[in-house]
Amino acid sequence: MVDWITLAVPFAYLSVLIGSLATFSSLYRKRKARKATSLEPWFPPHLQRDIYFSLMHLDPAAPKEKGSGEKEKKVPESVLKAALLRRATEDIKRVMALRSQKQALAMLLQRGSVGDDLWQRFLRAEKEMEEEVRDVVTEANAYVAGWGQTIFQSANEMVNNALIRERIEKHQKKADEEKEWWEKKKASIQEGFMKELDAEKGGPTTTSPAAAPAVAAAVVGAEAKTVEPATTTTTTTTTTTTTTAPPAPTVTESDEDAVLVEADDQPTPAAAAQKSPVGGKKKKKGKK
Amino acid sequence: MASSIDLFNQYPLVLDPSSKAISLSPSSRNSYTAPQTAALTTELTSLNALHRTLISLDNPSSIPPPPLPINPKRSAQITKLRDTANTAFRKNNHAEAARLYTFALEMAISRPGWEPVTLARDELAGLYANRAQAYLAMRDWVSGLVDARCSVECKPTANAKAWWRGGRCLVEMGRWEEAKVFVGRGVEIEGKESEGGKELIALLAEVEEGIKRSSASA
Repeated sequence: MVDWITLAVPFAYLSVLIGSLATFSSLYRKRKARKATSLEPWFPPHLQRDIYFSLMHLDPAAPKEKGSGEKEKKVPESVLKAALLRRATEDIKRVMALRSQKQALAMLLQRGSVGDDLWQRFLRAEKEMEEEVRDVVTEANAYVAGWGQTIFQSANEMVNNALIRERIEKHQKKADEEKEWWEKKKASIQEGFMKELDAEKGGPTTTSPAAAPAVAAAVVGAEAKTVEPATTTTTTTTTTTTTTAPPAPTVTESDEDAVLVEADDQPTPAAAAQKSPVGGKKKKKGKK
Repeated sequence: MASSIDLFNQYPLVLDPSSKAISLSPSSRNSYTAPQTAALTTELTSLNALHRTLISLDNPSSIPPPPLPINPKRSAQITKLRDTANTAFRKNNHAEAARLYTFALEMAISRPGWEPVTLARDELAGLYANRAQAYLAMRDWVSGLVDARCSVECKPTANAKAWWRGGRCLVEMGRWEEAKVFVGRGVEIEGKESEGGKELIALLAEVEEGIKRSSASA
């Protein structure tokens, strides 16, 4: 009849409209889902968790390997517990990381500094961690009733303890390096001392005994003069007791509170002293 | 998507039947890159170590006890060692004291990880500070400095002694600039009012003088 044909028009219109809307919606949702799955995970793969599950599933795989199949019936529960504990410590680290990042990330998102998909990734990681934590608690309770309440406490302490030990280790490792440096420095200081000491030694021993008193006289004479050219003195100081008795062959080593004798800043004071004992300028000053 | 929690990467692990140690099966080593293998091996090593400590517990269920209350045995041992070391130090037997402190430190370091970290920090801070003092008496500035650094790392607050000892070591080695930074931080944390803070300020004045002297002579 005529009625049917006129009715078909609105129906066709409706079907086209609904059909196109449905297509669009399904396409849109599919694309969104694909985008969500293509988002990079927030964290790297959870190694501890993988190990834990690998251990759980070790049993069926074991018989495939020759020889070992019969003996190792099952992974001992203690190993699984240890693995679970390791997993819990890693979870703690991740939860802490998420918690500390959330504030900053929310702020950045509000200001529009970061994209929306970063936030999506973050939310997904958060949800995953929630599930992960719940899973660990149930597993722990399955091993020992009530362990679920304390496993994360233990794990938290373990994380912190590991951290402090790592830091101590770092400091202690530096010890060798520091020691080496100090030895070197000590050696260089000592060398400086020895050089000056040799310079002193060179004077009295190479000169003839007759000239030696002259050196002593020069030294004593120079003592009075030390006041004016004090600025030329070098920083390193040597102390000897020889000056009081120059001819004595035993040149003893330094003594902190003894009389101080300094070589002048000539490059080879020993040679200078040898040639002209009187000319070898020596300064003497008390220390402290 | 809901199954993402159930997904995991399977690793080819092997269980040593006698020692119960877990390791990566040698046949599959080639399927991973070097850093992956390294990460896996370190993780397995720590897993095995943890497993051994768990087994050695006298707890039949072999799970770590909750952080509190603390097992008093180890604390008692450490305290005893420290007291012996303290008496040795008082008798001017510094080398022996340092040795005993080292034992106590080893024991404190090997405290199982699930015990409260605050306790471990306190203990380590005290022991390191004391050993630094022993090294100071032996004129071993480098070791003293390292121990003082460890001590303040463990417990920066209310640890004026360690700050002072570290600063002293740096002064003795003539590292004025470092000493200034170190002691300055100590003063900042300890506050100027406290007794330890006053000593630190005195040391700081000494450091300033040393800087002046070294820059004048340079």
